[in-house]
Amino acid sequence: MTEASQKIDTAEKREPRIGVFVCHCGHNIAGVVDVEEVSEKAKSLPGVVFSTHEMFMCADAGQQLIKDKIDELKLNRVVVASCSPRMHEPTFRRVCESAGLNRYLFEQVNLREHVSWCHMRQPEAATEKAWDLVRMAVARARQLDELPIKQVDVTPRTLVVGGGIAGLRAALDIADRGFEAVLVEKEPELGGHVRKWTHLFPADESGAQVISPLIRHVERHKLIDVMTNSKVAEFGGYIGNFDVKIENLKTHKTKTVQVGTVVVATGFRPFEPEGYYAYEQSENIVTLAQLQELPPRAELRRPSDGRIVKKLAFIGCVGSREPGKKGHEHCSRHCCSAVAQASADLKDRVDEVLILYQDIRTYGRGHEELHRLALSKHVIYSKFPREEKPTVHVDDDGNIKVTWTDVLTGDQLEFEPELLVLATAMIPPDDVAETANLFSLTRSGDGFFNPEHIKLAPLTTHTAGVMIAGAAQAAKNASESVIDASGAAAKAVGLMARGKVEIESTVSHVIPELCSACHTCITCCPYGAIAMDEEHDPPVAYVTEAKCHGCGTCAAACPSNAIIMYHSTDNQIMAMIEAYLCPTDMEQQGGN
Amino acid sequence: MTMAKTQTDSEHEWTPRIVAYCCNWCSYAGADLAGTSRIQYPPNARIVRVNCTGRISPEFILAALDMGADGVLVSGCHPGDCHYTSGNLKLRARWAIMEKAIEQAGIDTRRIRLQWASASEGQVFADGVAKLVEQVKELGPIQEEWK
Repeated sequence: MTEASQKIDTAEKREPRIGVFVCHCGHNIAGVVDVEEVSEKAKSLPGVVFSTHEMFMCADAGQQLIKDKIDELKLNRVVVASCSPRMHEPTFRRVCESAGLNRYLFEQVNLREHVSWCHMRQPEAATEKAWDLVRMAVARARQLDELPIKQVDVTPRTLVVGGGIAGLRAALDIADRGFEAVLVEKEPELGGHVRKWTHLFPADESGAQVISPLIRHVERHKLIDVMTNSKVAEFGGYIGNFDVKIENLKTHKTKTVQVGTVVVATGFRPFEPEGYYAYEQSENIVTLAQLQELPPRAELRRPSDGRIVKKLAFIGCVGSREPGKKGHEHCSRHCCSAVAQASADLKDRVDEVLILYQDIRTYGRGHEELHRLALSKHVIYSKFPREEKPTVHVDDDGNIKVTWTDVLTGDQLEFEPELLVLATAMIPPDDVAETANLFSLTRSGDGFFNPEHIKLAPLTTHTAGVMIAGAAQAAKNASESVIDASGAAAKAVGLMARGKVEIESTVSHVIPELCSACHTCITCCPYGAIAMDEEHDPPVAYVTEAKCHGCGTCAAACPSNAIIMYHSTDNQIMAMIEAYLCPTDMEQQGGN
Repeated sequence: MTMAKTQTDSEHEWTPRIVAYCCNWCSYAGADLAGTSRIQYPPNARIVRVNCTGRISPEFILAALDMGADGVLVSGCHPGDCHYTSGNLKLRARWAIMEKAIEQAGIDTRRIRLQWASASEGQVFADGVAKLVEQVKELGPIQEEWK
């Protein structure tokens, strides 16, 4: 299997001079794995000319050490055994490059997430695993080839998906910096959920007051193309050069635009709490979102018959913070503060307001003040036990009765509100799976889009050039969404201002001499990146590199082994398997 | 291909050696999450990262078994959630044929396991490793079957 590709490996193979750097990560790795033993053993592996262990490889001292050793010992391969490459591969690749070593000659071993953190009570087995993984990585490093660093132009235009508060802010930020934005909104009007809300915490303004100026600015901006009633129907291409087909949902006319970057701000939907607290049994049991959308007037009137409400109750954490229930385990974050604001506000119009809660988390700037304001207005807060939710009964006359246990007194209590408001979870929109597919985004357990990195890269995604902002990423309030939006816009502008971006060279390549023109690769490529070169005699398959995303499906499918997947060649993979299962004597003993 | 080697250290009690091919986007990240969540699972698997499960040729699995892996795990994105749209479906199509080939070679198909574990499913990933290790422990070393 491997002979064919070995023969045609084009890149010049220099005698490997490998440096191995084993990281302690403080106590994170070294507390479980014997890093000293692993680095000592690695010294005798074929091709290894240097091996050491160091407290923090990602810190300045660790990075400098790699550079110094590349320089001093003429290392031409670097193996760092530390954390997940999903965390620091870009860091170490940059270090190698700054010392003149091609980034594709770097290899990382994951000793933290995959070893020390998940085998904490088995230090011996963990050390053995670490040693196997280092041996495998060194074997792969011997097979690594230099690859060219490719740059492409970035089209100076951004697609913003979603015309809520996040999408509006992002589009405006981008346009104000002189770049074009195409804003796509599936609803007939801009403004999203915020536009519909009567109370927006922490300031006492309606949603419409907050968002109207933003909408006006966006609509008047020369550089923003607003497309309402529209949806992204097709999405292709790669960072800097995406092709987007946008469909008008009314006319079904489509328009194709080229963009360089994308901001996905598709937001959330308020959970419809079917099966919770007799929600379906009375018109007077509403969600917080429905309360927010009631037309503002001097008195609060209940939906069923318009009677003035004198007794009002809220229940918190409806469809949120339910361990073990998929999509409902998260805290929806906005509800505690929104309920505090709404209750403080409405207390002026009703006699009694009761808030039943599991916990109160008024965490944001100015939010705790809302909580205090509600308390000072004699809004009654009563905590119910997590394991014993309140029960709601609606009798034949439509009267609502709430029964619960108050945690502080231990008493069984009752309340008969004329209007009951359920503070329901923020969950992803109905079409979130479709959006995820379209832009190749992954989702977390709560269903929202995953950022590239939860701490270090919260606005970028694993699809290069596609940013996420606002409640598309997680449950959050309007001000947090706006912060995200400005951040995501800055990311997009950064790419466009530079005008050029490096792309991965990990693409596939057809060796014409071996191709039997069976078309298997053409049918299996998800991107239509492979076609027949009819000019060639006989015709053979060829890969359009710009279209290739590097999945390697073609390389696995090719019955003639005529396709090389760069940086993931058969040789590189098989070398790891062999080093693990059939180590040479030298590898096995690790120098002892 | 190299002939299977017997377990190298006879002083140690036999413990399964598992090769785990994981796609970069879902299952490798899922394994990362298992680590960050401190989920503890058997230390038998050695993860080989590939971009997509579509990259995994049946030969990678057969070669691992041939070289003495007691079990092989392939873990990718859920169908419909593939970072590369459909690479995992291509792998799934190959899997059915490969299972037959493995069976015909006299190898128990419980030695290979195909699972879907997303980036948010650290527990699913860890449980999958544990499940395969348990199955393989019941079957014993692969050398017994190659005879």
